[in-house]
Amino acid sequence: MKTETVAMLLAGGQGSRLGSLTFNNAKPAVLFGGKYRIIDFPLSNAMNSEIDTVGVLTQYRPYILNTYISDGRAWGLDKPGYGVSILPPYEGRKGGRWYEGTADAIAQNIDFIDRYDPEYVLILSGDHIYQMDYSELIDYHKEKKAQLTIAVMTVPWDDASRYGLVEVNDDYRIIAFQEKPEHPRSNLASMGIYVFNWKELRAELLADMEDDNSAHDFGMNLIPTMHAKSMRIFAYPFQGYWRDVGTVQSYFDANMDLLDDSVDFNINDKNAPFFSNNFSRSPQFISNNAKVKDSLICDGCVIFGEVEHSILSQDIFVDKNVVLKNCIVHTGAEIGDGAVLENCIIGSYAKVPKDARYIADERDNPNEIIVLNS
Amino acid sequence: MRDTLGIILPQVGDNSDLRPLLGHRTIGTLPFGGRYRLIDFSLSNLVNSGITKVGIIGSHKYSSIVDHLGTGKEWLLSRKTNDLAILTGSVNRKLDVNYTINMLDFILNKNFIKNSPADKVVLTSSNLVTTFDFDEPAEVYNKNNADVVLIYRSDKESFKTIDTDVFLTLDGRRVSDLSFGEEGKTDHKYADMMIIKKEVLLKLIDIAELNEINDLFSLISENLDTLRVYGYKHEGYFNRVFDIQKYYEASIDLLNYDVLSQLFFTDRPVYTKTKDNHPTRYGEDANIKDCIVASGAYIDGTLEHSIVFRECEVEKDTDIKNSIIMQKCKIGKNVKLDHVIFDKEVTVRDNTELIGTYKNPIILEKGEEI
Repeated sequence: MKTETVAMLLAGGQGSRLGSLTFNNAKPAVLFGGKYRIIDFPLSNAMNSEIDTVGVLTQYRPYILNTYISDGRAWGLDKPGYGVSILPPYEGRKGGRWYEGTADAIAQNIDFIDRYDPEYVLILSGDHIYQMDYSELIDYHKEKKAQLTIAVMTVPWDDASRYGLVEVNDDYRIIAFQEKPEHPRSNLASMGIYVFNWKELRAELLADMEDDNSAHDFGMNLIPTMHAKSMRIFAYPFQGYWRDVGTVQSYFDANMDLLDDSVDFNINDKNAPFFSNNFSRSPQFISNNAKVKDSLICDGCVIFGEVEHSILSQDIFVDKNVVLKNCIVHTGAEIGDGAVLENCIIGSYAKVPKDARYIADERDNPNEIIVLNS
Repeated sequence: MRDTLGIILPQVGDNSDLRPLLGHRTIGTLPFGGRYRLIDFSLSNLVNSGITKVGIIGSHKYSSIVDHLGTGKEWLLSRKTNDLAILTGSVNRKLDVNYTINMLDFILNKNFIKNSPADKVVLTSSNLVTTFDFDEPAEVYNKNNADVVLIYRSDKESFKTIDTDVFLTLDGRRVSDLSFGEEGKTDHKYADMMIIKKEVLLKLIDIAELNEINDLFSLISENLDTLRVYGYKHEGYFNRVFDIQKYYEASIDLLNYDVLSQLFFTDRPVYTKTKDNHPTRYGEDANIKDCIVASGAYIDGTLEHSIVFRECEVEKDTDIKNSIIMQKCKIGKNVKLDHVIFDKEVTVRDNTELIGTYKNPIILEKGEEI
């Protein structure tokens, strides 16, 4: 079998900064924008970029994620022999162990990648919301005759110290890295999306596995090692919407971006659509006394109360006299009669009791989002 | 009910006032309830009763049914052990004789029925709006060693919705007589669903072939003394679409939360073809009351007592009441619509007003622009 590019999607992390949203569920499988899950974004991008082979590296709480990915058909990733493969840690002849870092996860799956004899390996992560044509990134990588290309985006200088930054020369060749520095010298942030030449990456991974002092992480170990060897590492300047949804606040904000017409991100782009894996549901029912405005609402919702500037996943029941404002509600939740909720994230199948009041006042506590779970 | 074959009979409807909506489809594939086709109810009823082999008898407009059902995956009928077959129908465009159940449909598919490993056959129609568990009449069938179990309604309200006019005279549960015609002698009207022993059906097919009797009920009626025919009363919501009035009524019935719950919020889902639509976006000026809205829509206007299908767009200062708007319609700004039924992909320009009535809703055909 032969394919030019194999994509490897790192989906094993817990995402502990998402709090109770990831208690039972891996971060890539967390709901986003109503009916989507975070992993829909890289998987849909892969399909829209005509990448037909994707390995998904799973480790933490994989059940929902595995079932959701299924045979990859929902994203058109079911080409016989190629398509999507779920790659958990496994036991081999010399024993087995967990994935101990991002590079280690790839290293343990060298055999998988070798089966496809690719020229390039694209490393993706399962916690970003964005739309990208990876084929343009790969073309850029070829054009620059790069050994590694890192997708980067310009971030505001004030924010720069939250990111892993790269410094580049006029040709966009990377000359230095800075990991979350106090005094940023650049405002180009790494997006955690890498293109490697497989032969070179393979050799680097094997060497890294032998290094007992390595944490087997791309950002901390492998890439600095390649940089130290003066390998050709380039930055691919990405223009467009991209959000890391690693914290409750960033998750909340990125969801709310979908309701903000001034944000340049179209979840309904017919040319490069986002796919998801859904069952049939009934249409939404909005009753006589309901009020619904400025919201995204999915199938199966039944609304008797008031919903404003909120995002509702599937099969949610909003009883009468309820006021939901600036809320994100996950699948199957029930909001009891008279409940008033503002700036909340309500977890899947949560039952919010009658007359409950959860109001996080954004002005006083800008970082306080209430997360209610089942 | 793995020993059962399900057969869905066609409803063509070309002779009814539904015709403007049936240019490229039959009644079974008429869009309904925001995201369904009518046939989804009967098909889901079969599947939810554990029937895993289903044949759908087509008519001359096959493409809409094939396009909707595909391999049957969404109805769980595309597995190694489950099957969906689209069968040849006898109906052609010129035929305007109305049989209750046309034997030609079975004659053409005799081998399909014969080769099925099932020992009984469930017959149902493609135009029913109801949820029904065939396990219950199957119990009557098994307990009484029956040849036929006819499902019937006993409420006068639903008589209006059934245009196959077959009335049952019951002696206990046993059917002692069948009568035909609009004014029935009894209070029990056949409700377009039955269970029939496969052997019996095959025998009746042979008789029909030899004697050119084309109506299943004539055959059952003639052989009532030798066949063990039983009745099973169907209760709960029941509707059947055969003309515009019924289509409109059954659609608007969904806005009654009790009806909606009976049909959709049960452990017996109504399956349909899923689409990759984004959630429906309600704008700042949206004002929605008493509506069913499907996914992928964009609504910034006022909707009241209406059904809006997938991927519709309704702009602001627009007011839609008592209407059915099928998928991908685009309704401009400052439009007033009352009692309209729009087929797919209708475009309405800004500042348009269209007012129909309950008895005479305004119908626009697929793709019309006004």
